Amino acid sequence: MAVQILRDSSRAAVQKVVLGATKDQGGTRSHTIVVGGDAALPFHHFEGEIVNRPVIGMEVQDIVPDWPEALKNPFADVINEPGRWAQKCVDEYGADLIYLKLDGADPEGANHSVDQCVATVKEVLQAVGVPLVVVGCGDVEKDHEVLEAVAEAAAGENLLLGNAEQENYKSLTAACMVHKHNIIARSPLDINICKQLNILINEMNLPLDHIVIDPSIGGLGYGIEYAFSIMERMRLGALQGDKMLSMPVICTIGSEAWRSKEATAPVSEYPGWGKETDRGILWEAVTAAALLQAGAHILLMRHPEAVARVKENINQLMVSNAY
Amino acid sequence: MDQFAVTFIPDNITVQVEAGTTILEAANQAGLPLKSTCGGAGTCGRCAIKVQEGEVEIRGSQLPAHLREEGYSLACQTVVMGDAVIAIPTESRLGLHQVLLQDKGRLQDSLTDLLGNYPLDPACKVTSLVLPEPTLTENTSDASRLLATLRKEKGLEGQLDLAFLRELPDSLRQANWQVDVTLAAGSNRLIRVTPRGETRAFGLAIDLGTTTVVVSLLDLHSGERVMRKGSYNRQAAYGDDVISRIIHATSNEGGLKELRQAALDTINDLIAAILTSRGIDPAEVTAATIAGNTTMAHLLLGINPRHLRLQPYIPAAAELPVMKADEVGLNINPLATVQIFPAVASYVGGDIVSGALFTRIASSEELTLFIDIGTNGEMVLGNSDWLISCACSAGPAFEGSGITCGMRAMEGAIEGVSIDPDTLEVELEVIGDSRPSGICGSGLIDCLAKLLHAGIIDRTGNFQEVTTPRLRTTDEGPEFVLAWAAQSSIHRDIVLTGADIKNLIRSKGAVFAGIQSLLKTVSLEIDAIERIIIAGGFGNYLHIPNAIEIGLLPDLPPEKYIFAGNTSLKGAELALLSQPAWQESLELARRMTYLELSAGNLFMEEFVSALFLPHTRLELFPSVGNRSGNERRSS
Repeated sequence: MAVQILRDSSRAAVQKVVLGATKDQGGTRSHTIVVGGDAALPFHHFEGEIVNRPVIGMEVQDIVPDWPEALKNPFADVINEPGRWAQKCVDEYGADLIYLKLDGADPEGANHSVDQCVATVKEVLQAVGVPLVVVGCGDVEKDHEVLEAVAEAAAGENLLLGNAEQENYKSLTAACMVHKHNIIARSPLDINICKQLNILINEMNLPLDHIVIDPSIGGLGYGIEYAFSIMERMRLGALQGDKMLSMPVICTIGSEAWRSKEATAPVSEYPGWGKETDRGILWEAVTAAALLQAGAHILLMRHPEAVARVKENINQLMVSNAY
Repeated sequence: MDQFAVTFIPDNITVQVEAGTTILEAANQAGLPLKSTCGGAGTCGRCAIKVQEGEVEIRGSQLPAHLREEGYSLACQTVVMGDAVIAIPTESRLGLHQVLLQDKGRLQDSLTDLLGNYPLDPACKVTSLVLPEPTLTENTSDASRLLATLRKEKGLEGQLDLAFLRELPDSLRQANWQVDVTLAAGSNRLIRVTPRGETRAFGLAIDLGTTTVVVSLLDLHSGERVMRKGSYNRQAAYGDDVISRIIHATSNEGGLKELRQAALDTINDLIAAILTSRGIDPAEVTAATIAGNTTMAHLLLGINPRHLRLQPYIPAAAELPVMKADEVGLNINPLATVQIFPAVASYVGGDIVSGALFTRIASSEELTLFIDIGTNGEMVLGNSDWLISCACSAGPAFEGSGITCGMRAMEGAIEGVSIDPDTLEVELEVIGDSRPSGICGSGLIDCLAKLLHAGIIDRTGNFQEVTTPRLRTTDEGPEFVLAWAAQSSIHRDIVLTGADIKNLIRSKGAVFAGIQSLLKTVSLEIDAIERIIIAGGFGNYLHIPNAIEIGLLPDLPPEKYIFAGNTSLKGAELALLSQPAWQESLELARRMTYLELSAGNLFMEEFVSALFLPHTRLELFPSVGNRSGNERRSS
């Protein structure tokens, strides 16, 4: 007797979110990118259509970041110029998106003015044609000002702006609504808060297809399993028709992976661990590979070699296994 | 040890206490009990007093700095070291409390007839006998004579007690051998012998609540209620909730005795007041039925309650033997028969069994949810085929405890709030149409719903940036002014703070999570519930749509909700009047499955997702989604 293979069919699919806007659409991007739309568990092509491939946004900062040498090296020639840095990511390393982190705005750090931040965003917009993810420095007050100004200056570009959090989502949501951008709703590895935040944002009338979930992942060895199970629950919720859990998921892979001791400790200290350059790249790539399986849609990454490996992984995963 | 005089003003009552006594204890001794939610642990900050003069030692204080500067300290942390004069502010007093005795409308007709289908068959009965007089030749003892006649005439095997025998010779002769015998139903234990003819028999139904105690006197011949009277449970001086009382009972020497005495004093004072006003001799009260939660039953009987609080939460006894009044300590006929309702578990007690009995949950095929929202949210789900119960620690927020300006539903309590969506101005409904002095449970629920509607808070309960002088920020965070000092009867602003709101959300979340846990355990959805019976005084004032709007109660049509008032008391009255009902309550307690919410993750998961207005799963509240969508303002 032939083996009967059971297939789960889903009642609903992950929300599609469009990033960027071309000239016709009121922006200046060369093309747009659509994330989400999956009608099955990650890469279960045999159970439902995986319409859009996961994408990689490479990180660019508006200051020279405090990164290990191994990570700064590939960008050594452009690290002072966010525009050229972004260009290199797209042209040489094939970034799908640019993830512009405005850490320079931090009042405790470089304390860039709002105008400086806006100028950086414009510089990057000019330098590349891919859609942009723009995130503030994390200082609540400063981010209010900076992100509102960015939203206004880049009106029509359909950016992905972050981060909205439960205690602090109103001003960014309002800015995204007025100037037509998408929002990153960040919750602290908590399915309830994740959902609540989506409800709160949606109740301010930002449509569901303008929200992307950041579940606050941990890197490999640093709580990745919590992120994995939260993301699994989100996807299962989305497939069962829970609209408030159905948004695409964005993961801060690069920053989490490169925070780990394993990624950065010098080989002189741990001779048994091998070369730190290889280690960091692998740490980032493996973190990304694991979370792809959990349902990540947008991977925010740093090292070009890690990006290359993950792209290869995505290519393989996107080969249909339908039968 | 040195004795010092402590004088309390403005009452001008002086007591003599030993050095080292706390002002809290001294005030109790003076008959001026203070609020003490934490039971004297120095954490709740409710027993603030002012030392006017004299020598005291003030230990660490939880009071805010500005109050300390004004000379306030906590009574439980202030120790007498010499003669002292202490001022007690009104807000620290436990106060005379008007306990709600009457139901405020909205009761279902079927629940107003106490006996219903049960026969009048009270806990003790009176039977008339004519005994043959003894002679020199027929010289059987008094007791044998009585028992033999009882057996011959009535077919009853009487049971004797020493105290009964002590009275018997005189009683029989005074009655000239023509007697009425009062005996306990079931055991046939003899209670009293009185001259034949006009023997009255009264019984007491007692609802021994954590916060309030109500005593009801019934005429056991007619089955009619003679009088009800209620008051604050004096155990409140040792903590507001059962946990702090268990701690007091188990960690202080003599603590259990104090708590037992406080409960007995409360009950006995009520009994005395009722009997005096109706001209009834205590000896004529020959039966009592008591319904209370498991902790209350333990404390009343002086049974060590320690293990109720410690994992795995085991009561000393769930089903209690029928007792005598003098063993229990009730000031009625010492031989009166006392029935105490059985418990299901440590946190689903006799009060719930009594409520389940009265509301006839188990005699209907309709799937019923019975909820008693007090300090604990206790609930029973089921029908004639099965029953499952649980208790969730909702906290006393809906009773007004632990809320900055909270109070119980009595005169002066804000019970309703409306907020103009444009001006954000507030209109209040106050019980008794008086000036407000605080806000009660129903007012809190209403307030939460209206703040959400007006966009002053969001669904997480956080205050939003809106322009109104009523929203302000203090050292302790943001707060919303419901009534300005000039309007209030306490000469202070009546506020709802951000912390109060979080507290309320946790309370309502716990209740709803309890309901969901019961439903999930039996794999049913909310829609399957055919009726919801709300018990407790709180229910009398509750506005169901508001309670649904904040996610306290399931989103079911209002006609499925039934208010049943004080079901614990009514069940006790029923069991007093009808032995079949009493027997059924024993059966009910045995049948009820108990769901321990602290085992496993089910409750916790449900609780966390209920910490949202109304709920993280909006689809559970379809009617709420529609309404708030239209009415919310964006700010």
